[in-house]
Amino acid sequence: MFEPFTDIVPSFFGWLNQGPLTLTIFLHSFIVLPMFWIYKQEKNRLENEK
Amino acid sequence: MASNHLKWESKQLATWYFTFAAIIFGAQLLFGLIAAIQYVMPGFLFEIVDFSIARILHINALVVWMVFAMIGSVYWLLPDETGIETVGIKIGKLLFWVFAAAIVVVVLVYLLVQVGPADETTIWFITEGREYIEAPRWADIGIVVVVLGFIGNLYATGMKGKPTGIVTVLMADMLAFAGIYLAGMFFTDNISVDQFWWWWVIHLWVEATWEVFVGAIAAYGLITMIGAHRKVVEMWLWIEVAMLFGSGILGMGHHYFWIGTPEYWWEIGALFSALEPLPLVAMFIHVLYDWGKQQGAAHQRGEEGSVITNKPAFTWFILQAFGNFLGAGVWGFFHTLPQVNLYTHGTQFTSAHGHLAFFGAYATILIGMMYVAIQGSNGIKVLKHTKSSIAAAWMIAGGVMGMTVALTIAGYVDVIVTRAQMGATWAGYFDGHSGMWMLQGMDWRLIMGVVTFLGFLFLIKDFLSTGKNAVHIR
Amino acid sequence: MANKSVWSDNRFWQRSAAWVTGFAAILLIWLTFDTSGQISMGSDADLKNGVTKRVPGPTVINYKITYEMDTKRGHEVPVIGAKEKFFGRDDYSEKEAGDLLHLGKLGSQAKNCMDCHTLLGNGAYYAPDLTKAWLDPAWESTGSMQAMTGKNTKEEAMAEFLQFPSKYPTHARMMPNLGITAAEAKGLVAFLKHMSSIDTNGFPRNFGKIQGALNGK
Repeated sequence: MFEPFTDIVPSFFGWLNQGPLTLTIFLHSFIVLPMFWIYKQEKNRLENEK
Repeated sequence: MASNHLKWESKQLATWYFTFAAIIFGAQLLFGLIAAIQYVMPGFLFEIVDFSIARILHINALVVWMVFAMIGSVYWLLPDETGIETVGIKIGKLLFWVFAAAIVVVVLVYLLVQVGPADETTIWFITEGREYIEAPRWADIGIVVVVLGFIGNLYATGMKGKPTGIVTVLMADMLAFAGIYLAGMFFTDNISVDQFWWWWVIHLWVEATWEVFVGAIAAYGLITMIGAHRKVVEMWLWIEVAMLFGSGILGMGHHYFWIGTPEYWWEIGALFSALEPLPLVAMFIHVLYDWGKQQGAAHQRGEEGSVITNKPAFTWFILQAFGNFLGAGVWGFFHTLPQVNLYTHGTQFTSAHGHLAFFGAYATILIGMMYVAIQGSNGIKVLKHTKSSIAAAWMIAGGVMGMTVALTIAGYVDVIVTRAQMGATWAGYFDGHSGMWMLQGMDWRLIMGVVTFLGFLFLIKDFLSTGKNAVHIR
Repeated sequence: MANKSVWSDNRFWQRSAAWVTGFAAILLIWLTFDTSGQISMGSDADLKNGVTKRVPGPTVINYKITYEMDTKRGHEVPVIGAKEKFFGRDDYSEKEAGDLLHLGKLGSQAKNCMDCHTLLGNGAYYAPDLTKAWLDPAWESTGSMQAMTGKNTKEEAMAEFLQFPSKYPTHARMMPNLGITAAEAKGLVAFLKHMSSIDTNGFPRNFGKIQGALNGK
């Protein structure tokens, strides 16, 4: 399942680099997903304001 | 520029910054022309003002005039946004003279001394030899002091007056803008480390903090020039900040493909930077949408005529919306993926992108802000186009677009022959640069450069004369 | 339900902007630490023990460097081979080699090399890329550039060219005389040799492998 390492020095980010896009999709998800939580909080705030 | 219409000292100071910026802009174009002539006639000024010197002056003048115009823009909008006079305006005026004098000394040393022996004195007093930030170390320190003074004024004013969304964004952005410069102020024998940190300055300036800066300026322009709603404009500004920094900060990876850095940057650089055009599309839509909305609302109220209170400035803001998207977005995306960049990295293609991106994203909107200042300093209610302002916009925008297309065509032959066919050797380079597309591309670049320069002359003529013109509504 | 949408709410976007910016910045700093460790310069001991570094130590000038396809990584990488004489010696100490590299790197900045050439692909596009200039076949014993300078080794030929560039034009576009001394030229050649040993993930592709492909020459 896991790809062998090709770069010279093993590292956490190099390990996430498992094939096309795995690393970048992981990082993007990590940035975008917490926005759902911000969204929920703001939605509650707007509803309570009424 | 007449100043009896300016009740804020901050705005007077802004006009100083704009004036100096316009002069340096002219110097940038002049040295660009010399460099363009040298591509066509390599003997031109050989061993007098060599290509390297012309180019240093071309790109350093570019950075300097933009920084001056950016500082000027902030001093201009601060009283409007915060409702108070800028705090520390006396220091601001002193720092202007210090900054301008330092720039003149640096330029004269570039031009007259040019190179030095391979030791630390050269790095401290003549040139650091690192593209865009060649300024010697003493000037680096001076620039940091001056910019910290400016930021001190911005923070003091923002915190004492009304901190609007625009001012809040500018405060955060300008601090990052200055802080990042520190990353470019050291010497190392390791060229990979050198270039790693060098990109912290260059990339995080032009693809992050400067972009957010123009977002804030565009927001201010929409409010003042077409009466757009602050709440709508500031919402867009926050969206733009999220998208610009979200893609731009890690988009830095696209400079880390080939400088000795690990392979994982391929992925990070590829997708984050591929998303960098998105906020530029958003900014483009936002400007045109707000314009249409305000014009439509005015029409419904039965008002005839345009809602724009400053035609030339708004023209440049619209050119910015197009230019930023085309130059930074489209031309940037062309070669941002590593599988393409392997061959396009460091070719005329990069040069094509550089020209349209710097012009489209920054030169345009800063010229627009100069027109805003001309309107304010002359107490004009509605600033209209003149023949010169229209000629300037067409010739400068057309000229830069023409240069970009010419360089793109030259870039094809550079990529295909120099890189792909010939493997990038010394001989391969000159094979590529002897190709017909390259030669004709360079001819056209020079012609279009001349057009741009003529446009600049019209622009200066308009700057100097339009304030007195009777066509405007006062 | 006449609730305002969160999507048109300024506070939502403001908080999102703060989160995205802050987190991206933290990631960049983390990545910078990771990368900095990987691109720090190696040592003489690394070279002697065959430890591969992305940026080898300065004593790499004592060794022969080639640029070969690595099937595992799918691109070319610099390969450090047997000992090779550099200006007649192959026993530069870490201090001597380090001083040479220091002089060369300073020289590369003091002479504004980057404002005509590209180094690691960055700079100006008025003159050839120098990333792997040391490995350019034109400087080999059979190459045109070495023949032109009348020298017998690659390093001497390069140093001669750097000191008197307008004596050896290769194109209408010539390199100007930049007042490079003999010592500085030696340092610059050491800098170029060191740069060619940096692992650039296969850039430039096919360097020096293809000759005469243009127009069927």
